[in-house]
Formats: sequence, C-alpha cells, structure tokens
Amino acid sequence: MIDRNSRTILSVQGLRASINGTEILKGIDLTVKSGEIHAIMGLNGSGKSTFAKVLAGHSAYEITGGSVQFEGNNLLELPPEERARAGLFLAFQYPIEIPGVANTQFLRLAYNTVQTKRGKEELDPLEFDDFVREKMKLLEMNPDFLDRSVNEGFSGGEKKRNEILQMALLEPTLSILDETDSGLDIDALKTVANGVNQIANKNNATILVTHYQRLLDYIVPDYVHVMQAGRIVMTGGKELALELETRGYDWVNTGKSITGAIA
Amino acid sequence: MSAVLQSLVNQPYKHGFVTEIESDIAPKGLNEDIIRLISTKKNEPEWLLLFRLKAYQKWLTMTEPDWQNVHYPKIDFQSISYYSAPKPKQKLGSMDEVDPELLRTFEKLGVPMHERAALAGVAVDVIFDSVSVATTYKEKLAEVGIIFCSISEAVQNHPELIQKYLGSVVPVGDNYFAALNSAVFTDGSFCFIPKGVKCPMDLSTYFRINTEGSGQFERTLIIAEEGASVCYLEGCTAPRFDTNQLHAAVVELIALDNADIKYSTVQNWYAGDENGVGGIYNFVTKRGLAKGINSRISWTQVETGSAITWKYPSCILRGDNSVGEFYSVAVTNNYQQADTGTKMIHLGKNTRSTIVSKGISAGHSNSSYRGLVRITPTAEGARNYSQCDSMLIGDQSGAHTFPYIQVQNNSAIVEHEASTSKIGEDQLFYFSQRGINAEEAVSMIINGFCKDVFQQLPMEFAVEATKLLSFKLEGSVG
Amino acid sequence: MSDLANTDYLECLLKSWSIKSTESLSWLNQLRAHAIDCVNTQKLPTRRDEEWRFTDISPLTHLPYQPSQSECNLQLHDIEHLTLKEAKNRLVFVDGHYSSNLSTIIDPTALVIGNLPEFVAAHASILESHLGQHVQFDNNVFAALNTAFLRDGALIIVPKNITIAEPIHLLFIATQNEVTSYPRCLVIGETGSNVTLIEDYVALQQTTYITNSVTEISLAANAHAKHIRIQRESTQAFHLANCAVSLAHASNYQSTSISLGSQISRYNLHVRLTDEAAECVIDGLTLISDRQLADTHTCIDHVKPNGTSRQQHKCIVDDAAHAVFNGKIIVRPHAQQTNSSQSSRNLLLSKTAQVDTKPQLEIFADDVKCAHGATVGQLDQEEIFYLESRGLSEKAARNLLTYAFGAEIISRIPVTSLRQQLEQAVLSQTQSN
Repeated sequence: MIDRNSRTILSVQGLRASINGTEILKGIDLTVKSGEIHAIMGLNGSGKSTFAKVLAGHSAYEITGGSVQFEGNNLLELPPEERARAGLFLAFQYPIEIPGVANTQFLRLAYNTVQTKRGKEELDPLEFDDFVREKMKLLEMNPDFLDRSVNEGFSGGEKKRNEILQMALLEPTLSILDETDSGLDIDALKTVANGVNQIANKNNATILVTHYQRLLDYIVPDYVHVMQAGRIVMTGGKELALELETRGYDWVNTGKSITGAIA
Repeated sequence: MSAVLQSLVNQPYKHGFVTEIESDIAPKGLNEDIIRLISTKKNEPEWLLLFRLKAYQKWLTMTEPDWQNVHYPKIDFQSISYYSAPKPKQKLGSMDEVDPELLRTFEKLGVPMHERAALAGVAVDVIFDSVSVATTYKEKLAEVGIIFCSISEAVQNHPELIQKYLGSVVPVGDNYFAALNSAVFTDGSFCFIPKGVKCPMDLSTYFRINTEGSGQFERTLIIAEEGASVCYLEGCTAPRFDTNQLHAAVVELIALDNADIKYSTVQNWYAGDENGVGGIYNFVTKRGLAKGINSRISWTQVETGSAITWKYPSCILRGDNSVGEFYSVAVTNNYQQADTGTKMIHLGKNTRSTIVSKGISAGHSNSSYRGLVRITPTAEGARNYSQCDSMLIGDQSGAHTFPYIQVQNNSAIVEHEASTSKIGEDQLFYFSQRGINAEEAVSMIINGFCKDVFQQLPMEFAVEATKLLSFKLEGSVG
Repeated sequence: MSDLANTDYLECLLKSWSIKSTESLSWLNQLRAHAIDCVNTQKLPTRRDEEWRFTDISPLTHLPYQPSQSECNLQLHDIEHLTLKEAKNRLVFVDGHYSSNLSTIIDPTALVIGNLPEFVAAHASILESHLGQHVQFDNNVFAALNTAFLRDGALIIVPKNITIAEPIHLLFIATQNEVTSYPRCLVIGETGSNVTLIEDYVALQQTTYITNSVTEISLAANAHAKHIRIQRESTQAFHLANCAVSLAHASNYQSTSISLGSQISRYNLHVRLTDEAAECVIDGLTLISDRQLADTHTCIDHVKPNGTSRQQHKCIVDDAAHAVFNGKIIVRPHAQQTNSSQSSRNLLLSKTAQVDTKPQLEIFADDVKCAHGATVGQLDQEEIFYLESRGLSEKAARNLLTYAFGAEIISRIPVTSLRQQLEQAVLSQTQSN
C-alpha cells in the first residue's frame, strides 16, 4: 500500500557492482518505503538476482559505485549478518542444503540472534517450539520439517516454504524474495503468497524479484520495475506486469508502454 | 578459501604450560638395564620383568612401520627418557595431600578431579606423566567388587589378574610400538568389573604428558567379567614443547559372556604450532576382545590434538553374537596428520559391527580413514555397516579413505559408504543472511556433521568435545 | 619367496632379450633399453607390497616362460567362432604376434590401423610421443617387461573429427603352451574423434601360458572412445595386464571390462583426467569359479577441475575362487568441482568363495563431490521372495537374480553379438542345478 506518511526503508542510488571484474549492476536507483510491495522483473541475466544478493551482502560481488541507505544507515558497510540483524531478509532463489543441522536448531539460533539484537528475550527450546509451530500453520507446513536437516532432501516447494517460514519468524523490515515462485505448483504458490501477504504490513516492505507475472496475481505489487542489463529501465504500477506478460520483454526496448514510464 | 574463512582457525593451545615439579627421571636411552631399572623402581615380580625383556628382544628385531599415510622425521629412540615420576614429598593418603602445584595444573586443565569429580560422579584416576598419583572413589567401587587402580598397584595387589590378561589381546610382538610399550610401560589404569556387576559410575582417567623429552607409555587393561558392564572415559592433554614427544600407549579390553565395555576418548594432545613445529606423536594400539557370547565392545573417540595421530581401536569379535562399534571424529588443522580407523575382525557367528567415522581437515592438514573389516570363514551370518564421511575446509587440506574389506564367508553382509563434503561460502552466506556469524555457523555445521558420534559420548564429554571442535577450527573458515 | 628367487625369475625372463639395432629406430630402442633398466631395478612383487597384498603371484616364479615364437598355422575357419559380425576391422595377434592372414582391414584410408612396426617409420613423431609415455613402468615390473619385449602391437590412430561407426576388434589368441606373450596396443584418438574398441583375449585350448599385455589410450580434446575388454583366457593361464588412459579436455572414455578366464589374473587400469571437463565411465564384471583368482586394480586420477567419473565394479565368485577389487580415486589439489562416484558390489555364491575389496578415496581439493560404496553379500531375500510369490522356484529365482546381477554390466556393451556371447557365458556360469 502506498501511504503518504510512510518512511523510507531502502534508498538505492547509482548502485554499481561487479563480479570477477565483470560489471553486472550498472547504476540502480530504487526507493522503497514502508508498507510498499515492489516487484522487480526481468529476463535471466538482467541482474535482478545479483541486485538481491548485493543488498544482502554476498562477498562474491564488488561494489564499484553508488550508495545504499537502509533505514537511514549505510547498508554497504555492514557485514551480511549485521544486515540480517538490522532487519533485511533475503529469501534465496536456491536455498542451500545444510546436512546435519536440524531445521529447528537453525531456526531457533537465527531467531534468538535477531531477537537479542532487538533487545528482546530469547526463547528456550520449548517456547520456541510452540512459537514456530504456530507460524508453520500459516504456511501449511508439516511439523516434520523441524526435525529434518536444513533444506536437505527438501523438494523445491518445501525449500521455498522454509524460506517464507524463516521470514515469518524473523519479522524483517525489508524482505527480498528472489524468484520465490520458481518451482512451485499453483497450490503451493497460493500458500506461499498467502504467507507473504499475512506478513506484509504498514511497517515493513517487500521486494519481489521474479521473471513471471503469475506470482503477482497473488501478491499485488504497488510498483513494478523492469530490469535490463543491470539497470531499471521502466517503472510502473501492477498493470505493467500484465503488459510484460502479454507483450514480452522485447517490447520494453521499443519504449511504447501504455502503463509504464521509461526510467 | 575466502578471508572470512581464513580468519577463523588459529587460537593458541590453552593447555600449554609446564608444571614445575621435581621429577625422578631415568637417563635417556633404551637398553636392558633401563628396563631392569623400571622394573626394579616399580618393585615388579620376576614374570613381569621377563614379559618386558621378551618384548624388548622382539622390538629389536622389528622395524618402524612406514605404510601409514603420515610423514615425520625418524624418531631417535635412544634420546627418549623412559621413566619420569614426580618425586612424592610424602606418601599420599588422600587428595588433600597431593602436591598443590599438581592440583593447580589440573585446575588450569579443567580436569574434573576435585569438586567437579564429585559433582559429576566421575571417579578419576589421574596419570601425571607415568605414575598414578591419586585415585578417587576407589573405596566406593570396591564395595561392589570393582577394582579401579593404577596398573602398578594392580601388579602389586592383583598379580594373578595381570598375569592372566596382560598381553592377551595385544601380544608383545603385535607391532613395533606395542612391543616398545610392552618393554617400557611405566603406568596406566587397570579396571576389573566382576561377574554381573554394572559399574555404578563412569570411570575416567586424565592423561597428561608433562616433562619435556619424556615418552609416555601407558598401559591400560580393562576386564569385564560375565554380565558386567562399564563406561570408561579417557581424556588427554599435553603442554607445549618444541620437540616432538612420543606417546605409544597400549589399551587392552576383554569382555566375557554378555559383558559390555564402552571406551571413550577425547584426545587433545599438543598438536604443534601453526607451522607444524612440535606436537605429540600419538602412536597407540587399542584393541578389544569380545571374547564371550553376546559381549559388546564400543570405541568412541574424538581426536583433535597431536601432530600425528596413528591409531586403530579394534575389536576382535570372537564370541557368537558379539558386537563391535567404532565411532570416531578426527579433526586436523595446520600441519597435523591423522591416520586413524579401526579393525573389525569377525570370528564368531552372527557377530555385528558398526563403523562411523567423521574426518574434518582444515589448513594444510591431512586426515585418513583406514579401516579393515574381515569376515573369517567361521563368522556365519556376520554383518558390518561402515560409514566414513570427510569434510574439507579450505583447498590446502586432504581427506583420504582406505577401507579394506575382506570377506571369506558368503553368509556375510558388508556395507561401506563414504562421502566428502565441504563447508562452502554459500552455506556461510546463508547463515549470515539469517543473522548468524561465521563462527557459529561453522560450529553448527561441524556439530551436525559429527552428531552420530557425539551421541555416543557421555553428556559432559560431549559438551567438552563440542567446545574443543569449535575452538580447534576457529579461524579456519570464513 | 626369497628375493633370490625373484631376481632369478626376472633374469630368466630377460635371457632372450636383445635389441635389434636399427639406426632409424633409435628412440624405440632407447625406450626398450630404458624398460630393461627398469626391470633390473625392480623385484617381482610379493604380498608384502601394498599393491599386491591380496594377490599371491608366487606360482609365477616357477614358470619363467620364454617369449612365444611366431609360428602361426591358424586358418580363418579356426577362428571364425571368435569373430564378431559387427566388427569390420579386425586385428588378430596369435601368441602376441601379428597375423595379417587372419586380420581384416576394411578401410585403411579412414584411419591408421594395423601392426605397430609397419608404422614406426611413417608416424615416428606421434608414436614417439605416445608409445610408452602413458603407462608407468618404473614401478611396475610387468609393464616394464612388456615394453622391453615390445615388437608387434595394435596401432590405431583415429584422425581429427572422424567417427568410426563400426567397432574395431583386437583379437589376441593364445595357442602355445608354456610361453609368455607380450601383447601391446596403442590407441590415439585425435581431437573430436570417436571410436569403439574391443580388446579380446581368448585361448583355443586349455593351455598354460602367461599373457603380459599393455594398452595405452590417449584421447585428445573432445575425443570419445568406448573400450570393451574381454579376458577369456584359458583357466590355466596367467594374465597380467596394464592399461593406461590419458584424457584431454572434455574427452570421454567409457570402459567395460569383463574377466572370466585365467588361473590368476591381474588388470591394472589407470585413467588420468589430465585436463578440465574430462569424463570417464568405468564398469567391470568379474565372474570366476573353481580356484581362480581375479584381481582388478583401478585408479582414476582427477588432475584438473570439473572432471566426472563414474565407476561400477561387480564380482560374482563361486567355489573357492577369490576376487580382488582395489579402486582408487584421486582428486589432485585444485581439481575443484570434480564429481566422482564409485561402487563395488560383490556376490559370493559358495561358502569357500572369497572377496577382498578396497575402494579408496584420496582427496586434496575441497569443492568436490565424491562418494563410494561397497557391498558384499548374497542375493536379496526380499527379491527372492518376490519372485517366489510370482511362482518361481527358489532355485529359479536365485538363478535369475544372479544372472541379472552380472547382466547389468554386460548390458552396457554396445556390440550386440558380443553382448549375446557374454550373456550366454554369464548364464551358464550362474545357473546352479
């Protein structure tokens, strides 16, 4: 929802980043305010996943220019765990498997770490168990998940649900969902979208990174940005996503959008 | 390996200090006279001197083995002192009379001897260099007929048991280092659980090498009679010296019908510095004989220390339906080398064995699993399952797996699985994105990797092992 | 066995050795001379050597068989039953000596194929850079002996971007008693080439002899080779073989080796993935009975990143036979992203059968995926029960499952007639009454 009284959560200006000397992000500007849902769309290789990882602080990327303010602080100078503790959450496109580490153990450590940072009480294993089970209902997750190793042997859909569960637990200020819809069938997509919608409120914000429009049927964005070759080339409302879906990304280059404005 | 990974492993060795206690040290070198000296000092019966001399003669005919996957300069056996005992200021009657300097040492080590021993219900037989100085809980154990004392005491008080069992599992000429140990062992622990007795508490020995340039040759003998059971814990630390020290222990376990022996080790001898200078050579022979029907021998080890570890705690499964188990975690860092594993020799019918081995290598270290599973023609219906997993941290380390499977009975089923994995940048990033820093992440991954083994350890050992591991690998990942 | 006996044995073997000096062949003579030096510095291995701890070859010391003479009286009809209809090109060696009468070469223009000495002059530079360059013989006395006695041999050079559609049959026939033959093969696949080889060792009678063979295969970038190796020697024979394979960038080597014959056999297969993205698939089946001993040692050496290897070795052991498998996988430092899997499965059919298996990993790189597994056991009771519940007798069920255990490997052989022959062999050996 767009609200005049909202505060700015994320402010990205002229962000440039490269990997192994190859520039991927070539000057990105983006402002995200509380209560907003943004969708960043683009073809594979347009730089949208890189943008998500750069915001989360992945060490493989080198920042070569620009600035990122997160709730008024310089995000780029924080190590990734500090960004997470400050309330920035990335739901990974390919959640990694961690054999041997029980999901519940992992979730509780992550939760308590973030809670401590916020000056709140940690939960002991029993309290946490109650808490997490409640959250799992939201995502229609089987409690068996808790005893399995983190993401190990999970199906694609299970991994994505596990990401959203973590998001629900950590209550981030800014959630970045990187291709969360990929690999989900329509029922799973609805469940995940429902979870995201319940978490979204006027105090936080969400960035959806996606290739396809279908996720946006269930999570309605306030803004849609089109990314191409490391830049946001067009911004519009939710109609832009539908237009992209029917007309394809090539059309962006012709610059004849009905609904979007060339950035 | 990224800078984050690199900045995480190298914390100085905590137990590196020397206790200044006047020691009674034999001149360096090995010959028959030294052996006679040791035997005399310890007031041993004639048969034990003959046992030692026979071992020495055998040792002279043997050559140092070189097949293991470890590399070290040749050991000069003549530059080692084979006997070093703290000079007792008086004869010790209770713990209060123990040299306070010694007690402080234990305190620094965090040995749970005094209060902690009592609280935890652990009876500790402390080996300081080679002589056992104090044994707690002895009397309480004696009430149920358990003998738990130093082996020298046992030689004096229970010679018939020592004579019957010493060398019965590891013969004097079994291997080069076992022969050496049999010739010069100075002390160690002895434990005898009589028929039908379940040992009411975990028994524990804390080994520690103190004097520079002294070899440590302990000898441990544990006997569980029919229906008896015991849990035995062994912890090892050593102060830091630049010279390498040799540790060549022999441990023999004997389980009669329906008896159960569980032997756990946390080994944290000095591993040498980050350039591979100094550290203990840990060449140990450990073997259990599951002699009776339905008997069980279980080895659990967490090996984090020593410059070189070379040992294969083994089980000879002679009794029908007997069970052998080996659970191991070996962690190496810097220039450490570990070649460890087990042997499961199946002789009896329906014998079963389980091997779970986890190797973690960081820095420039190398870790090898070497194991033998032999099913002999008489071992009808034998079963073995082995799982050997390796984890590599950084691209300078090595992990090796050498399983030997020999099957001579077609009713046997033997399964072996092995895999390798690593702690990857992506895993650490995932953790950090959830607010968890690299150290915690590594500790969590490692503990997950080792879970199957840690579950086998008694509670307080499991906690210690977990701490030791994170401590050990701090700075190697990141 | 004393060292003295050892030395004597090698000396006896070398008695007939001589270099027939020809100026133009000096590199070849040097190679042979070097091999002799290597023989002289080595001893016959004993069970004290780690590489031979399961296989006792001391019976060999009583059999210092001299090299076979070239005295072939075979006619085509004598070997007709051994030929394969799919293989248009066939090189036949009798007791290690090339027989042009029995060989057929359909199209000598498409590739270089024939007896090694015929090409030494014309292809000197390529031969010099490959012959004896892939096989290690400074620590392998049998490969050194073979190289010292190197004379005839199969040479195949597949030119750049050429695919040879039909398999090439290399047929090694043993006829003489109490001799040693030294078969040799060199296969060079140039960039982008593709070839299928069948290396086939057979005997016409149950004679006693020693085969000491060496095969070298070198594949250039993107070259493919399928290598089918059948060892069906006389059950009185001794078969000692070395095969060394060198794989360049993104080349692909697939090997299926079947060991059926010999009293004692030993096959060393050493595959080096010398450049990135090379792939190999190595399958093996050992099927032995009576008092046979069959030892397979393989080493897959990942030298560069992104290599893939998959290996499956199976042994079916009956009577008092003894099978040995030692499979080593090495991942060298910096050979990141290596993906390697290995499986050793063994079936013991009798109480006195024996198997020693040693799958082995040596890993020096951290970002790799390696796994191995080994099983020794009997047929799965559940599977037997399933078949019984469908009306099969227990015996029929066992026979079927045993056959299927071996047939899984055989079914990967891409040459129909050969596959059928081998299926028959497995069938007849696995069916108890």
